[in-house]
Amino acid sequence: MARKVDSYRFIGGMTKRMIKTWIKMENPREIPWTPLPKPLRDCKVALLSSAAIALKTDRPFDQEGERRNPWWGDPSYRVIPRTATGEDVRLYHLHVDPTIVERDLNCLLPLQRLVELEEASEIGQVADSHYSMMGYLLQPETALRESIPAIIEHMRDEEVDGLILVPA
Amino acid sequence: MGLAQREIEAAGFSTIILSSIPDLTASVSVPRLAAIEYPLGYTLGRPNDVQDQTAVLRAVLQALEAMETPGEVVHLPFEWSGPEKPKPPEGHEPPPIVGHVQRHPLQLRRLLTRDVPQD
Repeated sequence: MARKVDSYRFIGGMTKRMIKTWIKMENPREIPWTPLPKPLRDCKVALLSSAAIALKTDRPFDQEGERRNPWWGDPSYRVIPRTATGEDVRLYHLHVDPTIVERDLNCLLPLQRLVELEEASEIGQVADSHYSMMGYLLQPETALRESIPAIIEHMRDEEVDGLILVPA
Repeated sequence: MGLAQREIEAAGFSTIILSSIPDLTASVSVPRLAAIEYPLGYTLGRPNDVQDQTAVLRAVLQALEAMETPGEVVHLPFEWSGPEKPKPPEGHEPPPIVGHVQRHPLQLRRLLTRDVPQD
């Protein structure tokens, strides 16, 4: 019954080699832990995607900067309201097929699926705000120093209990 | 993304990450990890496959509630039923770093060791 996910089934030679090298560079660290404060059916849940998704009305992620300097990625973040659909947003991550979000935002940011689980009372509430960042950051320091604390503050203001992260 | 998760968990939120490269995600010691064998970009499933997306999301939420040990990993049992190599549309621009390394092969070593040139 138990099956193990193969991390490399869909990944080509060069990327696979890169990822394996990156894994070897890491050492185990102490793991932070916050228990879920109440049953899931009473919790407020938010999503964070690293697909660099932004509302079309919002500031785009900086693709030009990465084209000029391929070692760089935009460290900023965007807020996406719970009501957003694929028609309201664009995907700016230069390593991800942007048509996926045009076809169905839920592949990467499952807002509609989460709202349905709220309607079915499987979770307490969907947060009003959700978040997206650029996943390709070889130097994540700026994002960790500026964007993540801002997201944390926003989540605190909205009294979020649980967060699902969806890397891209 | 795993580093972001650690910061947010440490700030007092319960977090879980849904990763299709769990070996990489686990290497930075994340609190809760749900692994899925789906292609990059299709983490929740195929476009408009509502039933599958819901099942994946529900499994992640249940893991968020059930896990009790820091660093716990669940391997989700979902089978990818789309194309084996989903391709971006014709003419799609490759990532800038790919072209850069092709033009400057000696830079590959820097990418592998994340030794980013400082300017």
